[in-house]
Amino acid sequence: MKNKNMPSYIIAIILAVIFIYPLYILILIAFEPISLTFDRLYPYQLPFIFTLKNFEASIKDLSLIKPVIRSIIVAFTVGILAIALATPAGYGLNKLAARFSNKIIMLMFVVNMMPAIVIAIPISVYFIKVGLYNNIFGIALAQELVVLPISVFIMLGGFRALPQDIENQAMVDGASIFHSFRNVILPLIKIPLLISFLLAWMTSWDEFTYAVIISPVNPTFPVSLYDYVSRGEPFIASSFALLVTIPVIVIVVVLQKYLKGEYLSGGMKI
Amino acid sequence: MKYKLELVDLEKSFSNKKVLDKLNLKVIDGEFLVVLGPSGEGKSTLLRTIVGIENLDSGKIIVNGTDVTFKPPNKRNIAMVFQNYALYPNMTAYENIAFPLKMARTDRNSIRSKVDQVAKLLNIEPQLNINVTRLSGGQQQRVAIARALVRDPALFLLDEPLSNLDARVRYTSRQELKRLQKELSHTFVYVTHDQVEASNLADRVAVLHNGVIEQIGPYNELYEKPNTQWVGDFIGTYPMNFIPGDLMGYPDSTIGFRTRWVSEGNDITAKVTLIENSEGNYFVHCKTGDSDIVIRTDTKYNVDDTISFGLERFNIYKNGVLEEIKSGNSVASSGINDVDN
Repeated sequence: MKNKNMPSYIIAIILAVIFIYPLYILILIAFEPISLTFDRLYPYQLPFIFTLKNFEASIKDLSLIKPVIRSIIVAFTVGILAIALATPAGYGLNKLAARFSNKIIMLMFVVNMMPAIVIAIPISVYFIKVGLYNNIFGIALAQELVVLPISVFIMLGGFRALPQDIENQAMVDGASIFHSFRNVILPLIKIPLLISFLLAWMTSWDEFTYAVIISPVNPTFPVSLYDYVSRGEPFIASSFALLVTIPVIVIVVVLQKYLKGEYLSGGMKI
Repeated sequence: MKYKLELVDLEKSFSNKKVLDKLNLKVIDGEFLVVLGPSGEGKSTLLRTIVGIENLDSGKIIVNGTDVTFKPPNKRNIAMVFQNYALYPNMTAYENIAFPLKMARTDRNSIRSKVDQVAKLLNIEPQLNINVTRLSGGQQQRVAIARALVRDPALFLLDEPLSNLDARVRYTSRQELKRLQKELSHTFVYVTHDQVEASNLADRVAVLHNGVIEQIGPYNELYEKPNTQWVGDFIGTYPMNFIPGDLMGYPDSTIGFRTRWVSEGNDITAKVTLIENSEGNYFVHCKTGDSDIVIRTDTKYNVDDTISFGLERFNIYKNGVLEEIKSGNSVASSGINDVDN
């Protein structure tokens, strides 16, 4: 069989195995009896016995339910806030000449180049003052820092991809600014909106640094998961970890179709 | 005379470059006015300022007797067809055409009847329920025109609507556009750089140069009596020939003549440099003194032949401006018609 793509397929398969292997270990730990995994020096790599005991235990132990609910609220807040802020920002930046808007976008990304810990501590000090410490909306606001630049970047790309005169045409056709946005622009930026929402959602879902510093007492899920692992209860933790990985896998599968780079390039010609 | 559109002293500049420089123009009710100019002379800017999506530096825009200078585009009662049609890609042809009516809060039944009517007029009934992105270029252009026609505005602005079409479709669309405009007796302002479109479509042609209307009138008048040397050079497939006035006994001036204004004679002697064969005629490029000229002949000359010919008629320019028109061998000078505005 002659296939020019053969080497790239082989590389893809190797990479996939490397990335999927930890997930496989997670599944093994979640569904195998403890005696076959953690109690052995060399755990079996192939499943021998299937058990739901770990799952039962983790669901019975309700202390992880609350962090999951917290995480869900935080993730949705971050996602909604991201599109609520990034849509007008992208719209406005698109009206500027590209040489200005590109510089502003660059400036926004500079914030992300600093280590999160450097920013998280002053923020938490301020949040104590204004009552956002140990508060899920405090976490959401801090995590917004991480996701907003990329959301604005994606939205700007979406607006740049719009046909040039479409908004002008809507105005000429008698639409007010509100109507032209509602009836003409919005339907055309659905995909960038969806992508920035989901990316923000996913980033928040497994964000750790801001979460642990801003809200150590009422932790989000990744933080309490860490607690469980460090306390030596990895079986319950891995069952739960698997449960929360599922929505992320679903999102990635849904996103795959759109993650082709055209939206992530911010409409810039490279 | 009733004017649909009056432009008074329009001024507009982009970063120190003056695009419109005290431009004045009056468009008569029901006429097809073509604004002709080379690329980059601000033709599109002119339309965009008229419709209101580009701000003016100073000047006045009057539509149907009402000053609309400070009104937003949606309050000006002007329809515009953009060069790339700017169709709403998420909608069907029907929804595109219905959009202006929907914005004007027309009721559902009269929207349907109006859209059907205009679709019939433009022969796009079968395509009404198809998404516009799946239509051909010609069909998209019809939808864009239908969307403009459906509102019955005071004025139609068209920004090179045929430039994205291939030659055959462009030819038929041109005929159709002209027919539509006459049938509905709408006022069209049409921007193009294409001389053929201008000569075929226009009741009057306005030549835009250096931010002002350099000359306005029927295409033939522009062709035969260009007010300035620049217009003579710009109008026509071949630019007007210009030779020093001394050759014909008019010192300190320039003689301008068209390729076909030549006759037997020996006013001018020239050396042939190139011959073009075009639809049964020969266009002979030759050099007399320092001037390159082109004349149309039936005889096939050879390169490097020396030919001499006379002039049936010619225009005399002084400092680039038309001074006198000489026709025939008699020295009858016809007064230059000072066209209104």
